[in-house]
Amino acid sequence: MRRWPRGIEPSTVEPKVDIEERLRPLMNRSLAGDADAHRQLLSALGGHLRSYFARRIGTGASEVEDLVQETLLAVHLKRDTYDRALPFTPWAYAVARYKLIDHLRRRHRRVHVPLEDAGVLFAADDSEERVVQTDLDRLLERLPDRQRTLLEDVKLQGLSIEEAARKRGVTAVSARVMLHRTLKWLNRAWHDENG
Amino acid sequence: MRTVDLIALLARDVRMTPAGAATRKLLMGLAVGGAVTLALVVLGLHCQPLEAAARQPWFWMKASYTGLLTVAAAITVRRLAVPGRRPGIAPAVALLIILAMIGLGAGQILAASSATRLDLWLGHTWKVCSPLILLLALPIYGCEVVALRALAPTRPAVAGAAAGLAAGALAATFYGLHCPEQAAAFVATWYTLGIAAATALGAALGARLLRW
Repeated sequence: MRRWPRGIEPSTVEPKVDIEERLRPLMNRSLAGDADAHRQLLSALGGHLRSYFARRIGTGASEVEDLVQETLLAVHLKRDTYDRALPFTPWAYAVARYKLIDHLRRRHRRVHVPLEDAGVLFAADDSEERVVQTDLDRLLERLPDRQRTLLEDVKLQGLSIEEAARKRGVTAVSARVMLHRTLKWLNRAWHDENG
Repeated sequence: MRTVDLIALLARDVRMTPAGAATRKLLMGLAVGGAVTLALVVLGLHCQPLEAAARQPWFWMKASYTGLLTVAAAITVRRLAVPGRRPGIAPAVALLIILAMIGLGAGQILAASSATRLDLWLGHTWKVCSPLILLLALPIYGCEVVALRALAPTRPAVAGAAAGLAAGALAATFYGLHCPEQAAAFVATWYTLGIAAATALGAALGARLLRW
């Protein structure tokens, strides 16, 4: 335990430890099925990812935002590969670094992404999102009508799954399954299209 | 789509997520693929009379070489299957097991008289041994790839190589039920060659199939 001179409060004591302590409980709650914790976790990660990717590829905002969205989708779909007995930030950093390397490789750029401490992902935060047309918009246009309307009901109108299901006359279970499958399809299509 | 909208969308797709998914999926892959390969050995090739074979040291020499290698490789696959884990000592252990087997085989060749050396080394089945092990590894490798695709290996080629090693070693273990060869030199060469081929194929396919 570090000692600080009396009366002086350090503004940032070991920021990485703070972030670990903040994010890990969110991840655990999210894995337990807590949607609100999941949203908080992804929002916090989004800011760090945006800043990390911008520092690494430094190009147009839309490329960075695409990568942020692709990584968040991966964090979401692959969250069962996080081992609850281990720290969360190294897992999140490894996902972000993998997505960055994969992104650069697909664009045939010279790849050199140093393997650093997970703290590099959490060193800065940029929660200000630029309004851009992302790859996801183009992919959404290719979805069958039923899936696209479900997504739009949930996304744009903020309906719950149950409300969206009732509106379209399907059961909540099948709407839930459809949403999950659509997210997996988006993840795959994204990869195939850019691969 | 704005990122906040995407996050809202993802938050609608949250359910209770059971722990231990990676280990469970990989073991399932190994079990299903292993069952297919075992069935191919038992039904397609013929087994040695097991009761008599189980009393022979050479039978256990083969089984422990490929069995231990399977365990070390499977642990490596498990480590590489998820983000943020280092492979640990399991790959070094796998390498040591292989080197020990090669040392055993080389010792046997050196100790043998020059008249019997070639027979020890080639046995009666050296032409079919490695290709059959590679072939028998394919169902196991396929099932492991299915499991790994549901997980998140951040080094696809390396994870593919480890999966190929595990598949080759398990396939060789089952092949040992059929194989009549008794010499350590034979096992050290032709078994290892088949397993190495499975590892190389696993790396090449993994680099393509295991991206996510």
